[in-house]
Amino acid sequence: MLDFVQNFPCFSIVSCMFAGIISSALKGKGAKILNLGVLLAVTVMSALTLGYVMDLGESYIYVMGTFSAPWGNELRVGVLEAAMALFFCVIMLLSLMGGQQKLQEEVEEGKQKLYYIMVDLLMSSLLALIYTNDMFTAYVFVEINTISACGLIMIRQWGRTIEAATRYMIMSLLGSGLLLMGLVFLYGLTGHLLMSNIHQGVVHIVEQGEYHIPLMVAIALMCTGLAIKSALFPFHSWLPDAYGYSTVASSAILSSLVSKGYIFLLIKIIYRVIGFDVIQQSKIINVLFVFGLAGMIMGSLSAIKESNIRRMIAFSSVAQIGYIYMGIGLGTEAGMTASVFHVLSHAVTKSMLFIAASGLLQASGDSTDFFDLTGAGFRNKTAGAAFTVGSLSMVGFPMFCGFTSKLLFARAAVDGSWKMLPALIVLAVSTLLNAIYFMKTVIRIYTPLREPAREKRFRKIGIGEQPMNFVALICFILLNVVLGLGAEPLVALLNNGLKMFA
Amino acid sequence: MGGNLLTNYGEAVAMILFGIGCTNLLLQKNLIKKIIGMNIMDTAIYLFLAEKGYIAGRAAPIIVDGIQEAEHYINPIPSGLVLTGIVVSVSVTALMLSLTIRLYQRYHTLDLDEISVMIKKEGK
Amino acid sequence: MDGWILIPIFLPVIAGAALLAFRRGTAGKNSDTGMEDGMSGKAQPESAGELKRLHLLVGAVLFVSALFALAAAWSGERQVTLFYLMADIPIYFRIDQVGALFVTFTSIVWVAVGVYSFVYMKHEGRERQFFGFYLLVYGVLVALDFSGNLVTLYMFYELMSLTSMPLVLHNRSREAVMAALKYLFYSMCGAYCGLFGIFFLYKYCDTLTFTAGGTLNLLLLGENGGLLLVAVFMMILGFGVKAGMLPMHAWLPTAHPVAPSPASAVLSGIIVKAGVLAVFRVIYYVVGPEFIRGTWVQTAWMSLALLTVFMGSLLAYREKVFKKRLAYSTVSQASYILFGLSLLSEAGVTGALLHSVFHAFIKSALFLTAGIFIFQCGKTRVEELRGIGKRMPKTLWCFTFAALALIGIPPASGFISKWYLAQGALEANVGVFGWLGPVVLLISALLTAGYLLPVTVRGFFPGSRAETSKEKAENELGAQAGQEDAEAVREHGGEPALGMLVPLAVMAALAVLLGLFPGALIEYAARIAAAVL
Repeated sequence: MLDFVQNFPCFSIVSCMFAGIISSALKGKGAKILNLGVLLAVTVMSALTLGYVMDLGESYIYVMGTFSAPWGNELRVGVLEAAMALFFCVIMLLSLMGGQQKLQEEVEEGKQKLYYIMVDLLMSSLLALIYTNDMFTAYVFVEINTISACGLIMIRQWGRTIEAATRYMIMSLLGSGLLLMGLVFLYGLTGHLLMSNIHQGVVHIVEQGEYHIPLMVAIALMCTGLAIKSALFPFHSWLPDAYGYSTVASSAILSSLVSKGYIFLLIKIIYRVIGFDVIQQSKIINVLFVFGLAGMIMGSLSAIKESNIRRMIAFSSVAQIGYIYMGIGLGTEAGMTASVFHVLSHAVTKSMLFIAASGLLQASGDSTDFFDLTGAGFRNKTAGAAFTVGSLSMVGFPMFCGFTSKLLFARAAVDGSWKMLPALIVLAVSTLLNAIYFMKTVIRIYTPLREPAREKRFRKIGIGEQPMNFVALICFILLNVVLGLGAEPLVALLNNGLKMFA
Repeated sequence: MGGNLLTNYGEAVAMILFGIGCTNLLLQKNLIKKIIGMNIMDTAIYLFLAEKGYIAGRAAPIIVDGIQEAEHYINPIPSGLVLTGIVVSVSVTALMLSLTIRLYQRYHTLDLDEISVMIKKEGK
Repeated sequence: MDGWILIPIFLPVIAGAALLAFRRGTAGKNSDTGMEDGMSGKAQPESAGELKRLHLLVGAVLFVSALFALAAAWSGERQVTLFYLMADIPIYFRIDQVGALFVTFTSIVWVAVGVYSFVYMKHEGRERQFFGFYLLVYGVLVALDFSGNLVTLYMFYELMSLTSMPLVLHNRSREAVMAALKYLFYSMCGAYCGLFGIFFLYKYCDTLTFTAGGTLNLLLLGENGGLLLVAVFMMILGFGVKAGMLPMHAWLPTAHPVAPSPASAVLSGIIVKAGVLAVFRVIYYVVGPEFIRGTWVQTAWMSLALLTVFMGSLLAYREKVFKKRLAYSTVSQASYILFGLSLLSEAGVTGALLHSVFHAFIKSALFLTAGIFIFQCGKTRVEELRGIGKRMPKTLWCFTFAALALIGIPPASGFISKWYLAQGALEANVGVFGWLGPVVLLISALLTAGYLLPVTVRGFFPGSRAETSKEKAENELGAQAGQEDAEAVREHGGEPALGMLVPLAVMAALAVLLGLFPGALIEYAARIAAAVL
């Protein structure tokens, strides 16, 4: 007996996709309204699904089409998936809300429709990545995700973004090529494309002790591919330009959702496709750990050197992605929980930072000079407050969600074997480096400007001028504090979700 | 090992092609050559897939002469995957080419490094 | 229900936040004046009526919360769990004897300095902002003193660093910004060292709830003792930053000269003690003194503390800017306390606790004096203070009493705590430190006399006329650079207003009287020491 709620994941994917298709026949305004409507609907559906799965206590399989298990295509929905979907929708809504004004300024009137089409497609592909139980479907949606993300980057038509989009595409294509190759290897080894069936095949192979090297090659290829796509250090070269120069809503969405979608797929591969035990035994996880650590340090160092505030935040993303991979690399359940929590907490914080930074820049004549930000916190008070909260959260200040994820990481790290010391030391060093550049910026935006001549150039931005932006930032701040103080239920939920994930 | 390579020469060629494509995608400066490299890489994967699904001496999975037993046909799934993959790679190639056109219109060169230098000079 | 003990935490925090937010609110409404304030950095003149209301509000909030804090502290053990940060990490307040002691002197100093700032802050401007943060920090400090486990303590420790930073930043000059940044970085570095240790302790301790004698689980620890020692040392260093222990003491002399004097007073008298409290909690309530007794950690800790005692006094002796001199003196005196704690003996701990209390009163009194000198005649350097006793004898007498107490001249309070510290060193069985400690303390006391008493002596007996006329010429030079409104005051800069003199007198009197009647306090401190060892 199929409950009606069980259809919702499928509905959300399909409705997003159709919204994209229908939007192409609509005018700009219509596309925007449709997009908003669909996102709201998907949010509600995800929430209902989450409630349903929590009641059910286990994940369920939704068969797409008429073929069943080993041949057909299916979705699998558990607590973790539903929670992620809900969360992604909320972040997407808030990011669009916060970046809307800038979008209207920076994107030509006729192209705005395209932007919303891209957003629809991106949302659809993200949801599909979250829910799907089929590797090849995952690959196809990874590509859709890449293409629509590229569209989001280059919607603002100037040299920098087109170049950034090109670089982004090159790296992403390499990543998806590797992912596909790994997938084909796995298919060759096990003869299946459904995740659960591949897992059975892998378990069988490992028990027999056969095909060790091809299996490892397949895992390595997939991990590398997804690592490139989610900008793990040293594959991060495309990231600062792509995040730093595109319109702010795109930066927020790209940093908080697109890269997280790939990470979620990686976690899915680790848990559901290969199996946690096999991964733990392989050395690949240690490689992820080491690169995660390197990313934590190098990302922060690059951010310190950067004077363009948005590129600075982009580099900080590299460091934060490093945190997530470090958590995965610990190879423990606790590490995985910490990583998943950090996916959420980073998404909340980073999108808020991008939107706040754009508000501050707006109040500083859109100059890329760091010193023009002087006093920007007084000129745009909401953005100043939000940026401060975001920075404190990034630095791991208690009360905000960054602290909770650091606590979780550290708690996971002390359980690990030889990884304990490097993890804790790098965690401390990277936190300190974060503090250097974020606190520097916060103090700068709250230092009064003493030159009346320059002050004339800048304009003040009141709350009334950008009501949507204000509401979005306030929501982000609240979300941040809630995640910081009341993280316990969410952590329990994630734990529970990870258990039923495999 | 050598024997394996010889019997599976299709896969071996696919891997070599994959390497060539990959290197071209990363190291070529010219955008068109990069795109060609990408296509070689994708095609290599399809070759690999097709090679996986092929069983010597069997026919394509299209029913003719009323023969319905599976033993007479090759595995159809990889062929299906290859078709899907080709669609994806075509769309990605189209996107890349359109990006290249945009860049060429602005900067009158196909060299990505040169374009970077020019953008830096533009300032902003 | 013990929920009411949250009142002294949340009342000032809410009131402070409201003050700050209200400023923003008015700025939004008539944005021109509000923005002017924010952007030009000039003090926005507040009307007299508005100021009066502000003072009344701040005074009332401060007084009520201090009353509640004292009531909570002295009505027996109370505890309340706010909420759970993680399943096994509650944010939890519990008042024990140490917390009660710290809350008591914090509250007294905070109220007194608050009264003092009502007058003093006219000189600095932007009072609403100052008092907003002043109240915030008070709430956070009470929470810090009440916190019942390590994570709660850490949380409020960080909050304290953040909320006290604007006090340093107050005049927003370039120096102030740099000093605030330095303060923040030192605090954060320290806090992260502390956090690093907390992660380890979390694994190896039965609970992070403060328990006298420690909660370390030796079975869990197994082979990892060496690693944990490193972690504990990191924590001592990290929390020692706030207490100005070498090698991370440099924020104190930078932050104090630029901060308004009342802010310096509480920074030096109280906030430095937060570092002491954190170290005390970690060593005596979580790790347990037995674990580090006789290890390299204890030796290193003692050496660092003694070195700081000596270097602090020496630097203070050579320093010519009055507030900087006092800041170095704080570096030195706070390490007296840390040295007492590092001895791990009953007398040492007793001495350390006594010295925490005494130093809070003494150093606040000294900084309040420095503030009066700046407020009344704009003098910041020691040479300029020649003959000041003729103009403000009462102020200088208060200063003298406090100075005597800090040096440790017998009946005054500093003598008692130093006596216990020396006794602790002698009886603690710590080898060479047994005699080295008292010797260093003695030398440092001499240096203290050397850097504080000349102010008194020259203040009352300015010396030959030729010198004073030369001083006068210098003063006039300084006056041109100084603020214009101070000019008028300087001509007839006599005794300060009662609002400033009374808190100073109270602090100085406490410093002396506690030395004359120390019985109850010593007994109380000794009880704590006996409980934790």
